[in-house]
This record gives sequence, C-alpha cells and structure tokens, in this order.
Amino acid sequence: MVDEQTSLKVDEILSLWRQRSGFHGEMKAKIIEADKNSVLLRMPFNSDFCADTEKELIHGGVLTALIDSALGLSTMLAVPGLKTLATLDMRGEYLRPAKSRSDLMVFAECYRVSRHISFNRGRVWFDGEERNQVAVGYATFALTRGPKLQVFNARENSCEQ
Amino acid sequence: MNSKSLQSQADGIPFFKFLNLEVVSTTDKATTCIMPATQRLIGNSYLGNIHGGIIASCMEATASLAVFDRPRKGAPKPINLTVNYLRPAKMNPLHCRAKVIRAGRRIAFVETIAWQVDEDTPVAKGQFQFLLI
Repeated sequence: MVDEQTSLKVDEILSLWRQRSGFHGEMKAKIIEADKNSVLLRMPFNSDFCADTEKELIHGGVLTALIDSALGLSTMLAVPGLKTLATLDMRGEYLRPAKSRSDLMVFAECYRVSRHISFNRGRVWFDGEERNQVAVGYATFALTRGPKLQVFNARENSCEQ
Repeated sequence: MNSKSLQSQADGIPFFKFLNLEVVSTTDKATTCIMPATQRLIGNSYLGNIHGGIIASCMEATASLAVFDRPRKGAPKPINLTVNYLRPAKMNPLHCRAKVIRAGRRIAFVETIAWQVDEDTPVAKGQFQFLLI
C-alpha cells in the first residue's frame, strides 16, 4: 500500500499519463494497478500492430514500445521530484511468438534509483496466460530532477511541426 | 532482392505500414530505410520527440528487412535486441541502416544505426538477433 502523500502524487501522475497523445494514444494502454514503483497495464489487440497478413501475430517492436512506456511510468512513480527522463538503454528478449488476439498485459517496475539513473524491468504476457510470458525487457533512464514534471503535454499540439 | 520488391514485402506487414516505413536501398550486406515523424509516433510531447520504443521498432523493422529473404520459409524471428539511445530524436524523418554482421544457417546478427541530421551524429544504435529457421 502507498501512503497518502505518495498516493496523491500517484493519482496526479496517472491522470496526466492517461491524457498522453502520440504513440501512447495509439497503444490505448489502460492502467490496471499502480504502486509506488510499479505499474500493471493492459493494451487491447490492434491489427495495425501485427507482423503478419493474417493479423494475429504482434510485431516485436510494439512489445518493445509498450515495455519502454510502462518502464518510463514506473520510474515516474518511483522518483519524487522528477523533471524529465530520457531512455539510455533498452534490452528486450522475445521468449515466444506473440500470437494471440487477446489483450496484452505488461508489468513494469523500477527496482533501483540513484541520483542520476533509474533501473527498470518489465514483462509482457497475454491476458490469462501470465505463466507463458511473451517478452521481458530492461531499461535504464537518465533522470533530471526539478520542481515540475515536464513529461506530458504543456498544451495540445505543442509540438506540431 | 531489390529495394522495390523489398518495399512490397514491407507493405504487406501491417505494423510497417503503420510506421510508413520506406525502403531506400538494399544489398546483401545492408538495408536502409526512412520513417517520417508523424504526430502518432510522438513519445514525449512536451519536448516533441519521437517515442523511444518507436525508434527501436523502426530499427528492428529495418534489421528484419535486411535478413528478410534468409529463412527458407517464413519471416526472420526476432530473438533479442539491445538499443542505446544517444540523443533525442526530434520530429524529423528518421533514417535507419541495418548491417548484417553475420548470417549463419540458424542465427543472424544485425547492427543498426538511426540518425536524423547525418550518420556521424546518430540518434540510436542497436543490435538485433534473429532466428532464421
């Protein structure tokens, strides 16, 4: 369980995260559970993300992008007073073909935070098949600390070319 | 395989269409692709950067196209990847080149580089392994 002060911060981060546009909007991932350094997300099946013409095999790149996003969120939850974060390194292992039209579940946790770096790990499975993990991933993020989190849109279309 | 026929293979893959991946050139040793930066590929909209996971996806797509015709049947199956993010990727087209380091009977090793301004200032570098059977 998280204490009250942390919980307020969690709600604020989660609410901002839910409003994200860009590729986050495309993935349509929903937050199922969030704790002080971890998060569980659910991403619905999307045929645009398939690697085959039969549209039942999810492309590995989507799993990587989903893990990357979830790991970023676990760092945001774990680091109080975070201004921005940048992915330094990402490693993924594809354990079996991602062949299903079920929702994808991803669990991500931040297992170590130092002054400048956070260390994160995550795993992906199809809903109801947690024993048969599809992929695992690890990422490190470079942290910039500051009074205000600057990871979300300041305003809509703030980055139009 | 020439870049035109590789492009038609890529267009058959829904996720590559989603990325709008364009094959620029291809040889036995290396394949180069370009991906336009569209609004739906934004990661950090405060800073206006391409999503890090999408950079990895673009590199993996290019890497898989570099070894696309190596398996006797089916597509190359990705085993693992390592990506180093060297600089933020702005909302400009992303170039990606995949070099086949070694392709044996079962396993292929592919190295990738992604850049925007020029190849000497890369945005990211990656290493990918594929199962070819």
